[in-house]
Amino acid sequence: MLQRYIDNFGAWAVIGTILITIVFLIAPILVSILMSFDARSYLGRFPPTEFSLQWYARFFSDTYYLTGLRTSLIIAVIAASVSTVAGVCAAIVLDRYEFPGKQALETVFLSPLVIPAVVIGFSLLLFFALLGVFQGYPRLLAGHIIITFPYTVRTTLAGLTGIRKNLTEAAMTLGANERQAFWDVTFPLARTGMVAGAVFAFAFSMDDVAVSLFLTSPDTYTLPVAMVSMMRTNFDLTIAAASVILMLFTIGLIIVLDVVVGLERVIGGGVYRS
Amino acid sequence: MFVVELEKVSKHFGDFTAVHEATFSLEKGGILSLLGPSGCGKTTTLRMIAGFEEPSAGEIRIGGAAMSGKRPYERNVGLLFQDYALFPHMSVEQNIAYGLKRRNFDRARISQRVNEMLDLVKLHGFETRRPAQLSGGQQQRVALARALATNPEVVLLDEPLSALDAKLRQELRIELKQILSAVEATTIIVTHDQEEAMSLGDRLVVMSDGRIVQEGSPTEVYKNPRSKFVAEFIGRSNWLQGKLGQADSAGLCLFEADSGLSIQVLNPDFVASKYEVCIRPERIRVNADHHSADASVFVNRLRGTARHIAHLGADIHIVVELESGELCTVSEQFTGQSLDQYDGTIECTFFPSDCIVVAAGT
Repeated sequence: MLQRYIDNFGAWAVIGTILITIVFLIAPILVSILMSFDARSYLGRFPPTEFSLQWYARFFSDTYYLTGLRTSLIIAVIAASVSTVAGVCAAIVLDRYEFPGKQALETVFLSPLVIPAVVIGFSLLLFFALLGVFQGYPRLLAGHIIITFPYTVRTTLAGLTGIRKNLTEAAMTLGANERQAFWDVTFPLARTGMVAGAVFAFAFSMDDVAVSLFLTSPDTYTLPVAMVSMMRTNFDLTIAAASVILMLFTIGLIIVLDVVVGLERVIGGGVYRS
Repeated sequence: MFVVELEKVSKHFGDFTAVHEATFSLEKGGILSLLGPSGCGKTTTLRMIAGFEEPSAGEIRIGGAAMSGKRPYERNVGLLFQDYALFPHMSVEQNIAYGLKRRNFDRARISQRVNEMLDLVKLHGFETRRPAQLSGGQQQRVALARALATNPEVVLLDEPLSALDAKLRQELRIELKQILSAVEATTIIVTHDQEEAMSLGDRLVVMSDGRIVQEGSPTEVYKNPRSKFVAEFIGRSNWLQGKLGQADSAGLCLFEADSGLSIQVLNPDFVASKYEVCIRPERIRVNADHHSADASVFVNRLRGTARHIAHLGADIHIVVELESGELCTVSEQFTGQSLDQYDGTIECTFFPSDCIVVAAGT
């Protein structure tokens, strides 16, 4: 009987936790989405009484935001591409070859996940100053490649470890050389992991504030950085609109990912069983 | 003309000797079973023939050509992997066609050959399925078709049936044998399963600790194992340890077991300080009247009591405690007899020729 109570209590505790998590995840986002359509010209109480697109109109006429969005997109595309290519290469080396210091190398590759972004940003700022680089683009690109690289390594590695080595060997006994075996077997099977890595990289790059904050220059800044500085100077609901736009990019990307490779397979880690 | 020849092939991994001077050869169309426990070097031998490992010493020849330095794709060897290693992103058809494509067969020839292979393994109608949509047995047949498609000079099968359940295994064993003889494939089977090795192979090579310990036809190896290892590994056996007396004029010796039990055995063709004798459970008869056949033939008779009787279906396994104290397993065929006859004192009989004598500690 007591056990039954404990079991029931446990079940309710789990359900309760899930509900609370959902509320705290979704509610703030819903609030900011609704507020972004507020027709009032001042920051009024929630909920909005009337709706309009005025904050979106303001966003798209404000060159400050637009420059930020443009920079963010350029940086995200380039950083995601570079770190995907580099991450795939690194993952292949880590997965297929045995060499001394392999463990250490893997730790180094994944270290940006553990090092606080603020530390990475500040260190890069000092480092680039030392090199005499003060332009925004190279600094931001370097920063974003560094913070997105671990994700592309991780997802590709997850995809690769799911591929049994004997598939490559099977291809080789059937007449494929190492290069052909890679392109015929390894690559198609690891592709899901690679695409997932690229999408994550893009999303994290679009989203980053901590590293970017240190690396922007007066005329090169990303959208999140623009939002942060606008918050300090003139706080209005354009920021809510900007948030929604930023969110739309990520959601759009996830939908594309789902259509192209199937979300379940990406989140499942790209492990294949025959 | 041998298709596959191994000459004193050794493989070392650091200090560890995986294979030591393995020598055997296989003629065209022959099926050889490489049998041994895990870690005996059989898989390493297979990997050397396939080209995944380079021998540390010795030479492998396929079709008369030395294979040293040849990559797997520069050899014409078909390999059936233990877990099949089918390409999960390709259909059955694409899997079978892969080797043909990589070996530059022209398009018409590829589709013709894929069709032949589908015929051979009876998988028509499954062309567009993915491996994940097939049963274990079907996957194995696809893997076999893929390995045979390019007409390899030698086909290597790595534990071909171990991934399947017992009943399916028996069915597929027969089918596998039929397919292999239909295409007259020169085949090497690597396995730790004696039934698989004996039923599929027409030659048996037994390996232990990286060395080939015995070679011969399955029947020959089963009947005359030359060491305790081989006798134990192939088939079930009862063991006695002891000393051997002088041979008489008929070639019989008295074997005195350490327990005091003594039996007549055939005089072995080797000398050792201590001997062990193995008697197969199925060679021992319980309460049989061996005299009627030929009175001049000597028969070993041992008395005992049945301690445990298990009726397994076609066979009855009886554990007999002999008067000398040893436990002895007997396997009788079930022909409808009553199990009551094993009650009380029973007599175990067997011929001296049923006793396999090996040197102790082998």
